[in-house]
Amino acid sequence: MASNSDLGSEEFETFSSTSDVELLKRAWRNEKAAPEILQYEGALVERAKGQIELVEANIEDYVEDGTDPLIVSLYQMDLDRTQFLLRSYLRVRLLKIEKFMFHNLKSEEAESRLSEQEKVFAKRCADDLAKHFEESVLLKLPENYQSVLKQSLISETDDMVPEPHLDTFVVCKSNDFVSLNLYEEGESPETVEMERGDLYFIRYKIVKGAIESGKIDLI
Amino acid sequence: MAKYFDIDDILIEEEYVPVVFHKAANGVTIDPSAETNCVEQGSKVEVPFWLAQELHSRQAVSINLPACFNQKTRLEVQADAACVDLRSRCPYFYEFGCKLEPLVTDRTLGILLSTAFKIRYKETLTKVYTAAHITASKYLSFLTKEETNLYEAAHLSMAAFKKWRTGGPRFQRASILGRKRKDSSN
Amino acid sequence: MAGQTDPHISLFSPQEIEFMAEDELVEILPNMKMDPLNFISGDFGRFVPMMATKVPLWLAVALKRRGKCTFRPPSWLSVDNLTQILEAERESPSTFQALPFSYVEIARLLFDHARDDIPDMYMVRSLVEDIRDVRLHKLETNLGSFQGTSAVKISNVSAMEVNLVRPFVRRALEAFYKHDKPEADVDRDARSSSRQPREANNEPRRPLRQR
Repeated sequence: MASNSDLGSEEFETFSSTSDVELLKRAWRNEKAAPEILQYEGALVERAKGQIELVEANIEDYVEDGTDPLIVSLYQMDLDRTQFLLRSYLRVRLLKIEKFMFHNLKSEEAESRLSEQEKVFAKRCADDLAKHFEESVLLKLPENYQSVLKQSLISETDDMVPEPHLDTFVVCKSNDFVSLNLYEEGESPETVEMERGDLYFIRYKIVKGAIESGKIDLI
Repeated sequence: MAKYFDIDDILIEEEYVPVVFHKAANGVTIDPSAETNCVEQGSKVEVPFWLAQELHSRQAVSINLPACFNQKTRLEVQADAACVDLRSRCPYFYEFGCKLEPLVTDRTLGILLSTAFKIRYKETLTKVYTAAHITASKYLSFLTKEETNLYEAAHLSMAAFKKWRTGGPRFQRASILGRKRKDSSN
Repeated sequence: MAGQTDPHISLFSPQEIEFMAEDELVEILPNMKMDPLNFISGDFGRFVPMMATKVPLWLAVALKRRGKCTFRPPSWLSVDNLTQILEAERESPSTFQALPFSYVEIARLLFDHARDDIPDMYMVRSLVEDIRDVRLHKLETNLGSFQGTSAVKISNVSAMEVNLVRPFVRRALEAFYKHDKPEADVDRDARSSSRQPREANNEPRRPLRQR
């Protein structure tokens, strides 16, 4: 075996088709590492669920057939791993929804990234919390200060809504050659060029777009 | 808005800053020792940052640098930044400095902040990886709030890694897990 | 399964890093016959005694624990190669040698579960530990030279190493970025937009807290 082939199975990923488990792992990693909620991977989640159900049914059949317990336990382990990824992926998203509840609902961009069920969850959380605040505190305050989102009636924006911190730094690995603009408007232009496989500590805002297009993964 | 509920951000704005009034202000008792309830033009008063910021935006006052950024601190930072007890000067040294920077005329504040931080964070890092928690405690008492957070973050991460490295294999637990799915699937 | 991370900080626990590394492929020599396994994560086998085949680490460990195979340690995990790497790591103070991205986790899993399959196991283990320590020390000193910037390249640093320094580096880089770019612009905008003439009534003149 050439020593290069040991340097990571990722090298071969492009040649073989990427499995749903790999895609799920990528979605999970990105979601865990990103400060804001990312686009829901609906189709992928549905496929993963389908495969999990299929394997569960198969395992039941194996047990009935009296298949070698070793083989059954191996299928069970594979199933456990996929379920872990799926659960953890969905849970990280729920945590982010709870953390930035009002932001996720008021920002159209953020809301569009949620699944239908997540939207229902976010809405119910926000309604419950707002109701609780109103009953326990807000409605006892003078009229000008009763909003959950605004400091007072004259606030022009929803100035009490916590938002994700997008100027934070993340670790990323590029899947491709990418050239990224480092600075924001009004600053002297400077770019960073990443080769495939390069590893960077980088400000999240800079790679946000490249993560969405799949050119870069967070790790 | 991102920091609206951030307790540290609120506390930073409670820090006092010296201001000079450009206009007289009637009907206010900013200085409790004053005999009248008006502030005369040219008065020098210390007020919390949140108030100073507001008065400054209405051109009512000009803001001077608080004592924690004075010449003495600067000289000490230049001499040996890592050993300066910044916490006793201001637990929010950097964040408070960042908030003041756009409001004061002194253009060297930003440089002071970034030099001090860059030298001190290296020292903090060294302490995390080399010193035992206890021997580092004297050093830790000099750190600002953010520096302490930095130290704690690195310390926890290192502890988690050591625990993983010396801990037992994770594998035994795996086969139990599959059973639980039916309970949690809805 | 893998320890869930503290929900308040978005980083991975060492167990989660290990979980990811368990999908790396290793070569095993089965000592039994078994049909191919069609997993959700891919198809592996078939398994024929003494015929080398590649499987994910977790599967290799599971088979090994039941006495169904031996490992063929990856070629980088040899005394010769590791000795060379250790020397090179020591010689160059600021660059890192190329090792598998999950070398720390792979080595640990093999040391825990396949010690009898690794020639010169004790030597190999101590070399890996030395390499890891030298690299961690270098990583630490290199972090000390980070400047305020939006992107820092970290070539050849491994998964566990990155994860170990992440909480610290993230905060430090955030602070650099913030100090280099004070809140000036943002705050001035917020202020001017909230300060419009108001009729004299008991409405507050402006929001209680800026931001």
